[in-house]
Amino acid sequence: MIRRGHSLKRRLMLWMAGLTLIFGTALLLEATLSANREADRVYDGVLDDAILTIAEALQWQDGRPLIAMPAAALQILATPHEERVFYALLGARGEIITANASLPITARLQKKVAQQPVYRDIDWQGTSLRLAGREFTSAGWETREPVQIWVAHTRGARNALAHDLVARAAMRFILMVGLAIMLVWLAVRASLRPLTRLRHRLRQRHSEDFSPISARVPVELSELVNTLDQLLARQRESHDRLMRFIADASHQLKTPLAGLQNISELALRSRDHEQWHEALKDIHAGASRSTRLAHQLLQMARLDHDETSLATRLDLTALARERLTDWAQRPASAMHDLGLEVPDHPVWVQATDWQLGELINNLLDNALRYTPPGSVITLGVEETDSGHELFVEDNGPGVPPALRDSLAQPFVRGDRHDTSGSGLGLAVATSIARSHQAQLSITTPDSGGLRVALLFSHERHQRNP
Amino acid sequence: MKYLIAVLALLVLNLGSTARVSAAESHLTIEAALDFNVAEPLIRAFEAAHPDIKVSYHDSSTLAVDRRARDGSPPADVYISSAMPWQVALANQGRAARLDLPEARQWPEWAKWRNEVFGFTFEPVVIAYRLDLARHTLPPQTHRELLQALQIPQLQGRVTTYDPESSGVGYSLFQQDARYSPRFWDLVAAMGARGVTPEATSRAMLEGLSEGRYWLGYNLLGSYAIAWARNHPEVIVQVPTDYSLVLLRTALVARNAPHPRAARLFMAFLLGPKGQHVLAGQTPLFSPLDGVVGPWTAARLRDQVGDHLYPIPLDASLLAFVDPLRREAFMRRWTREITILDRTDDPRPSPSNTADQRTARPETPWPRRPTTPVHSSRETQP
Repeated sequence: MIRRGHSLKRRLMLWMAGLTLIFGTALLLEATLSANREADRVYDGVLDDAILTIAEALQWQDGRPLIAMPAAALQILATPHEERVFYALLGARGEIITANASLPITARLQKKVAQQPVYRDIDWQGTSLRLAGREFTSAGWETREPVQIWVAHTRGARNALAHDLVARAAMRFILMVGLAIMLVWLAVRASLRPLTRLRHRLRQRHSEDFSPISARVPVELSELVNTLDQLLARQRESHDRLMRFIADASHQLKTPLAGLQNISELALRSRDHEQWHEALKDIHAGASRSTRLAHQLLQMARLDHDETSLATRLDLTALARERLTDWAQRPASAMHDLGLEVPDHPVWVQATDWQLGELINNLLDNALRYTPPGSVITLGVEETDSGHELFVEDNGPGVPPALRDSLAQPFVRGDRHDTSGSGLGLAVATSIARSHQAQLSITTPDSGGLRVALLFSHERHQRNP
Repeated sequence: MKYLIAVLALLVLNLGSTARVSAAESHLTIEAALDFNVAEPLIRAFEAAHPDIKVSYHDSSTLAVDRRARDGSPPADVYISSAMPWQVALANQGRAARLDLPEARQWPEWAKWRNEVFGFTFEPVVIAYRLDLARHTLPPQTHRELLQALQIPQLQGRVTTYDPESSGVGYSLFQQDARYSPRFWDLVAAMGARGVTPEATSRAMLEGLSEGRYWLGYNLLGSYAIAWARNHPEVIVQVPTDYSLVLLRTALVARNAPHPRAARLFMAFLLGPKGQHVLAGQTPLFSPLDGVVGPWTAARLRDQVGDHLYPIPLDASLLAFVDPLRREAFMRRWTREITILDRTDDPRPSPSNTADQRTARPETPWPRRPTTPVHSSRETQP
């Protein structure tokens, strides 16, 4: 009945693994990019320092730039990582003032550096270099010409720094993932503990125990527990009803059976044919009452467990007419005035015809039993604002309002024990009403007596005529 | 893992070479600015350790070594030179191979650059004088005393030092001196006033001292001078007590070395304990390694002369010295300073009054004399 699903823990771990993989890849990519940027930022500063140091040593003499290449500049440029270092000083017309390598400085780069400092990654003689250039306008006594200072070094230190940064980022990420997995594992275990507790509590429960589950659970589970509690409450109600029903039914069956036993014992002691005949008549009446009782009990059981009968579209007036005709021919109604009150056009509802027929039978039977002879009993169909109403009305003694609500319960006979009856009729009617989602109402009409009505409200029944 | 692969590769190489005694790998060409008779114990020891490798050793001047490393005609495997700036420049241009050897990795950081250039000696730069000098003045122990000693007229024409024009080592040493103190130029002016004779090599200076032509020599390589003074009692060697430069003779393996395996084996030998032991025991080159035992070690030198030894840093700052414009500026200043006192005997020169004096001076900075070659067959080393 319950499909065995995935393990929550395994599913969480799979999600974690997937997320880790995706985020890890993204993070490593980002880390690589930003580490390279960071390394370039740091070491471009070194290039700047070297350029400034060289610029500091630049002087003009006799109309030409002179420079004692500062050792410090080259030392700075080499960095503690011992990079290979290159430099070139270019004059105003791009001529080399001094250089230790023929760096690939194009005319375009020379033009660009006149506006702003330039940084470039270049490939030179199979080595990848970082090149930086800056232009200085220095003043001499004779000339004022710009000088471009270009420096470059290999990328060893940058790569080492970037590699280091990436490695550290990866290490941090791995640590974080490890911690997260641990924490999630603990959290899952802690969160699932209430479920385990709940399971234990349910397992230990007695089968007759319908009391609410009083377990402390997290908010997310409280709904489940509430639902379980409601289910239990309903089960208790139904269980109670069933037990009461069984008790009442056995009591009801016991009475006529005991009567039969008495009569038959008395008859057995007698030798008189006349008395035997009387006894047989009594036995017959008792047996038929028992049969009827059993029939009604069966109906109740059938109604409660009937899930196969299909509602069809039927005409209430036709049904009422047919039932009334049937009852009018029975001897039981000989002493009463049975009447029919239906509109002269069909009134359609969705209903199960045998159930409605039984309902009418029960109501008419009740009316015949609990009203004195000569009473007027009316079976009718009425179209009201709220829906179609099927009713049985009599002008008998009626039922005090205080007892009316309990009439629908089985074996309650409205304080009337003078007539023969099981007290099941209205209970059956209530069941039928419920299965049709119709409303059963018991009222006292203006003329006195009792009126039992079944209302098929428009909202539910006229939507699909 | 990497190490294991390297070891395996070496094993395979070794097996391969022993199997067919490869003709290509059995040679090693060394181009060195280092006298063969000084380097000979090293070379012999290497050949003894690797009998399958035949070493051809060619010694020449620092500038010739640099030229061959650039032209590569014909290419050598290992280049050895005392001109540190030129060696670093070679590496900077990508002409040196990076050595991934355990010996290279363990080599002290201050004595290597990029694992491509290795300073494998520790040679102090010294003052040398003849005993004659001591008769006339207090022998100089510091640069200041040297400046004072230059005042005595008996030294006229009897002072010698490196020629920065023709000697890469000399030029580097002067540049380094100028970096440490601006009073270096006073010294240059004073030497110029005494009619200093520039020489291309330490050996030429030492020979002049022994012959009596010179009484005082400045900035000689201690390795040669100390060894020379042992056999020539008339020459006294003084390691300056204020500061003494220390020169690291450097070796590098060419990137285009025809015999890379032999070159690597040689470097491993040179930088390893065996080579350094030979260096410390049988050559006057001083081993920079701690823990090497022998008469010629940096540690022993420090014990003898104190703590004021300043090794020329083997790093990118040396590249400034080979910048043509800087070299030109330096040479111009050198020329100016060395002749600044020609007309006067004023011992207190001032660089500010150079302009008018320069105009009145002759073009030739100092009288040049031909240097006599030491070996007929070889060029001499610095």
